[in-house]
Amino acid sequence: MKVVLENLTKVFPNRTKGGEDVVAVNDFSFEIPDGKLVGLLGPSGCGKSTTLYMICGLQKPSGGKIFFGEDDVTDLPPEHRGVGLVFQNYALYPHMTVKQNILYPLQNLKGEDKLSKEEMLKRTVEVAKLVQIDNLLDRKPSELSGGQQQRVAIARALVKMPRVLLLDEPLSNLDARLRLQTREEIRRIQQETGITTIFVTHDQEEAMSISDMIVVMKLGVVQQIGKPQNVYDDPANLFVAKFLGTPPINVFEGEVRGGMLFIGEDPVMAVRNVPDQKVSVGIRPEGFILDERGPLHCHINGVEVMGRDVSIVATNEASLNPVVRSIISAENKVDTSSGTVRYSIKPHKLFLFHHETEERIPFEV
Amino acid sequence: MVESKKQWKAWLYLAPALVLLAIFTVWPIFNTVRMAFLENYSGLKAAGGETFAFGIGNFKKVLEYKKFVNCLKTTALLCVATVPISTLLALLISVALNSIKPLQRLLQTIFFLPYVTNSIAIGMVFAAMFNIVGSFHGTQNEIIATAGIVNNVIEFFGGTAVNWINSGSSYAANITVMIIYIVWNALPFKILILLGGLQSINKQYYDAAKVDGSTRSRILWRITVPLLSPMLAYVIITGFIGGFKEYTSIVGIFGATMGPPDDGGRLNTMVGFIYDALSTNSQGRASAAALILFGIILVVTLINLAVSKKNTHY
Amino acid sequence: MASNTIATMKEKNMQSVKTASQIGKVMAMILTYAFLIVMAIIVLFPFYWMINSSLKTLDEYRQSVPTFWPKVVMFSNYAEAFSAANLGRLFINTMIVGIISTILSLVITVITAFAFARLEFKGKNILFAGLLATMMIPGELFTITNYSTVTTFGWINTYTVLIVPFLVSVFYIYLLRQNFMQIPNELYLAAKVDGTSDLKYLWKVMIPLSLPTLISITILKMMGAWNSYIWPRLVANDDAHKLITNGLRSAFTETTGDVNYPVQMAAVALVSAPLFLVFVFLRKYIMKGVSRSGIKG
Repeated sequence: MKVVLENLTKVFPNRTKGGEDVVAVNDFSFEIPDGKLVGLLGPSGCGKSTTLYMICGLQKPSGGKIFFGEDDVTDLPPEHRGVGLVFQNYALYPHMTVKQNILYPLQNLKGEDKLSKEEMLKRTVEVAKLVQIDNLLDRKPSELSGGQQQRVAIARALVKMPRVLLLDEPLSNLDARLRLQTREEIRRIQQETGITTIFVTHDQEEAMSISDMIVVMKLGVVQQIGKPQNVYDDPANLFVAKFLGTPPINVFEGEVRGGMLFIGEDPVMAVRNVPDQKVSVGIRPEGFILDERGPLHCHINGVEVMGRDVSIVATNEASLNPVVRSIISAENKVDTSSGTVRYSIKPHKLFLFHHETEERIPFEV
Repeated sequence: MVESKKQWKAWLYLAPALVLLAIFTVWPIFNTVRMAFLENYSGLKAAGGETFAFGIGNFKKVLEYKKFVNCLKTTALLCVATVPISTLLALLISVALNSIKPLQRLLQTIFFLPYVTNSIAIGMVFAAMFNIVGSFHGTQNEIIATAGIVNNVIEFFGGTAVNWINSGSSYAANITVMIIYIVWNALPFKILILLGGLQSINKQYYDAAKVDGSTRSRILWRITVPLLSPMLAYVIITGFIGGFKEYTSIVGIFGATMGPPDDGGRLNTMVGFIYDALSTNSQGRASAAALILFGIILVVTLINLAVSKKNTHY
Repeated sequence: MASNTIATMKEKNMQSVKTASQIGKVMAMILTYAFLIVMAIIVLFPFYWMINSSLKTLDEYRQSVPTFWPKVVMFSNYAEAFSAANLGRLFINTMIVGIISTILSLVITVITAFAFARLEFKGKNILFAGLLATMMIPGELFTITNYSTVTTFGWINTYTVLIVPFLVSVFYIYLLRQNFMQIPNELYLAAKVDGTSDLKYLWKVMIPLSLPTLISITILKMMGAWNSYIWPRLVANDDAHKLITNGLRSAFTETTGDVNYPVQMAAVALVSAPLFLVFVFLRKYIMKGVSRSGIKG
């Protein structure tokens, strides 16, 4: 089932007198292809959860339309949309066992959709097996670990065979180790069921690792939509570039003069077809090459060994971040004695952004 | 040095409370038990130097006493009828209140109003509402015939007027009036507690239920009530305890005679029995009755706790 | 063409679901409000009837067809009620008992709660648990012996008998102690370092910080004096010490038959009025206190 969002907008009226209305989601259009896993990504308050709740039907859009396939579901109450929702803190009913929790949505079906008791039980066991909790069916939620609760919540959302599965910050309540494991689990379940799945997260790594597509949002406005790798390699603006990637991108103040990009007084790289102007320069940590004759000079602070790679922590007066962090293969010998390190830059790991609008400036090498 | 000084100071601070508690709380516990087990104990006779034998005669006498059995019956009847009715009504009102926005605060205030009333004073208002002035099935030359507003309403809807509390009224009619009054009186506290409980339930459970397509009544019985079960257990237990100590609301409506004019004492309760025994200087019997009351309350509370432990799911 | 038809059919289907759910929502709202308003009317009706009746003439009250607002408004019923039930004296008696017992009770509650919350002494926990255990016992059990005790003390028909036996409330001590415990102990230690005396610390820090609880206790204690009936009737039934509830009931012993209800209702309204005033202005504190206590008055 593809999901189409057409100029979706949500405005929360400001209750206090004279206060301005809050635009949580502003003119969001997007077509989510059938059977894909899509991550809505952004910092808190960017409107990603509001978008999810509108798709689910728990919140009414102020404008725009939502289609599931060809059906306009904009004004439909959630129970008629055929959606499954997994809440951030799971919202498992504490007084019901795992089995009762999963059965509950089925017991609500009415009329022609009504199932026999055996059928309900069969479906429950099936979906419990799918998420691998079939040995926990008689426990109460309070007797489960966070990861197990998460699986129960997913099972409860899936048991109705929804057309669309929605997950609100599915991993945020789990510890780091479980998070890795669970995100693979979500990917597996999504691929096995083939249900169009939309999830919300503020963790870019989470979104990048499992999504077919990601949508980066900021203050209610969509910044960029695309495959994770494409968005990472080709960010539309400085916000997207900064939001994706760990360690985060290094940002410098720079200037283009006569087709040459300068960071401080260092002529870093030739950039053709860019008019002379002040720019913000983003360089991915993996975009630095240790080079004794490289153009970019940095003052070295230290080296962090991370096993396969090492991370060089340095400073540069033009840097907008407190430190300049580069990641290079551990095979390189780093000489810290001189106090200065010199880099040359991989051209496709360097992005130019407009000094004020922060929009991307294309250039040719 | 500092330590011992502190000890001394603490006991100084505690002294007034402890002295008063010793006289008016701790001593009565022992003394009541003592009096209950002294045959036919009477304060007046004790003051005259009489001594009493140890025994369980007081308890026997109380239980054999027909009046006491009647009191027990009335008390239990009022409890069993009012607690479920008021709990259910309070639940429905709280759920309804919790689901609205406009007028919520106003209605909440109105529903709390009966709490801050004097149960004797408002009992008199209820008496006026149920009372028939003059003989209702009256003789022809009778002019005065106010059937009471409740009967007026009943007749307005095509029913027949009932003799609720006057001479010649039935026990069933009397009990009905008491049930209505006690429920009216019990609602505010229960609504306050249940509404507080409802407001503390995580809204996500309701969102989840909505996505799952629950109907309103299913949400109420399958989700709200179980999640509210600790508060429900609390209002039910306090309701039973209060119910077994029912006394002043009956005084409010029927006066200190505890019954309609032609049958005083008909609606007497356990507490009423204790005070009656006290006023005839039968402290032994009063003590025995008080201990029985304590025992009943204890047992009912324990049963309630056991049941609610089974049904309070988390 | 064909897919178009399917689309419109689906559209129609969706439309009907939409309207059905919208109608259901509106109906549920209407029912909810209807239920609440009917219940609110039932709850309010006795108060309305009390005021309505209290302003009628006796003749109008006796009419077989009730009037819902008095034709002639008889404020004189109130004056009559005031003198008939000797309400002035009852008011004064009740206020004396209420105010003195509230003040003394607050003092005792505060210092006792302070000792339990802040001071260390041997047997503190056992003593406190013992106090809490007494809350389970119904009051009637104490009354029997207390009646003999106050008789022996010669307190019958005095203010003392109405005030002293109920000065200590284990529940209030418990409530205030919980409140005191939430105040960080560092504040107390800091005060000790500065050489502040216990009482000064209590007055300057703990009492201001737990003022809402103290206000709740004050209101409940005053309402308790106003509403108490059983004990006052037992031990202080003379005119000089009679409290208001007892006085009201004994002034109008006739409950059924041809009673002068307008005057009686006027008296009831006068007795209820102070409670309503307290309710209107201090509702927040009452509700807070009640939701934690579950006791009446």
